[in-house]
Amino acid sequence: MIAIDHIHKAFGATQVLKGVSLEVAAGEVVCLIGPSGSGKSTVLRCINGLESYDSGAITIHGQTVDVRRSDIHALRTRVGMVFQRFNLFPHRTVLENVMEGPIFVKGEPRAEARQHAQSLLEKVGLAEKQAAYPTQLSGGQQQRVAIARALAMRPEAILFDEPTSALDPELVGDVLTVMRGLAAEGMTMVVVTHEMSFAKEVADRVCFLYGGQIVEEGPASRVLSEPQNARTQDFLRRVLDH
Amino acid sequence: MAYADIAAFFPILLKGAVVTVQITLGALLLSTFLGLLLALMKRSPFAPISALASTFINVIRGLPIIVQLFYIYFVIPELGIDLSAFQASIIGLGIAYSAYQAENFRAGIEAIDSGQIEAAKSIGMKSALIMRRVVLPQAVRIALPPYGNTAVMILKDSSLASTITVAEMTRAGQLIAASTFQNTTVYTMVALMYLALSLPLIFGVNRLERFFSKSRQGANQ
Repeated sequence: MIAIDHIHKAFGATQVLKGVSLEVAAGEVVCLIGPSGSGKSTVLRCINGLESYDSGAITIHGQTVDVRRSDIHALRTRVGMVFQRFNLFPHRTVLENVMEGPIFVKGEPRAEARQHAQSLLEKVGLAEKQAAYPTQLSGGQQQRVAIARALAMRPEAILFDEPTSALDPELVGDVLTVMRGLAAEGMTMVVVTHEMSFAKEVADRVCFLYGGQIVEEGPASRVLSEPQNARTQDFLRRVLDH
Repeated sequence: MAYADIAAFFPILLKGAVVTVQITLGALLLSTFLGLLLALMKRSPFAPISALASTFINVIRGLPIIVQLFYIYFVIPELGIDLSAFQASIIGLGIAYSAYQAENFRAGIEAIDSGQIEAAKSIGMKSALIMRRVVLPQAVRIALPPYGNTAVMILKDSSLASTITVAEMTRAGQLIAASTFQNTTVYTMVALMYLALSLPLIFGVNRLERFFSKSRQGANQ
């Protein structure tokens, strides 16, 4: 469904992606792991065109992702994104945050959008918070609203950019529970994460990035338990030891 | 200070006050429209457009308002465009304050966290929709206190229209004082009437600010 073919990307003189290739099939959950600065968030941001890439190609169901093309907006409605810092709209209520895209981007009738939004909020366990403003919620609650907002567009895939990194440890669980539920329903997911236990349990495949390249990839159990590459071994030792 | 004088002067000054309010509202409206336009132009990715806006803003800020009024009232008609003194005062003040309004709006727009804009993009919103639904509603709230201050300044500076013969409140006061020599009575009345207009405006802005900060509940980070 998502095909990334040898993409390169530089920020000024710094090469952040050096020929990354990755295929994600429909219904698959792929976790991208790696040290900070390895380029994993950049890969994710290239998939929905929040970042442009210099060479190579990304296609979604055969349609090229290109920031400069006018079909980028329609493409983004098909691939949702959840951010590390939630990025909810602080001037709108929880319900309005979730309804915003369906009403103003897709032109869904308000009543229908409301009903769908309410059912999504129920799904993420926040039905009773629909009238609250984002700042009245905990980080974990905000992130679950952000997931509902992404789901409201009925996307074919969702990109998660370190969705639990900004959360207090005790709030991580609720967000991961929602993500597990989505994976079980067959949602296509690409997840940049430091949650190794989540990756082990939920991911079909884990890719380890280092220095702008995928240096190791394979089934979660193998990459995380028996890493072959020295960089992966070193990274996992550091992450799991702390 | 005779009560008879006050009673006699009041209707004349009140007529002037109506003109003052008209000029203020007209100039506020014009400066809001032009200021927003300039703020958006200044953020344009197309360099000539943003340069044009910056140049305009700098030139306008570098000129005394009274000179701008004289220019519009005395010079523009020589180009064959007929303007009444009243129209010239609204256009002059509106343009003069558009530069300050542009800065108010720009500060408001730039205060919006870029993460929200990315989130809006990620649900497929185009830039015009992001501006309308995400950036401007919040920018307006942030820009409101400086906007209110600008409105008060326009109200006060509408007295400059007296220099191009508009019979607003200050001019009405000058005319009465010149013919009656009741300087103390007249200018005390004029001062009190300006306060009667500006203080409610100041309090109104303060209230709006509190109302908005309650419903906004701060940014999310």
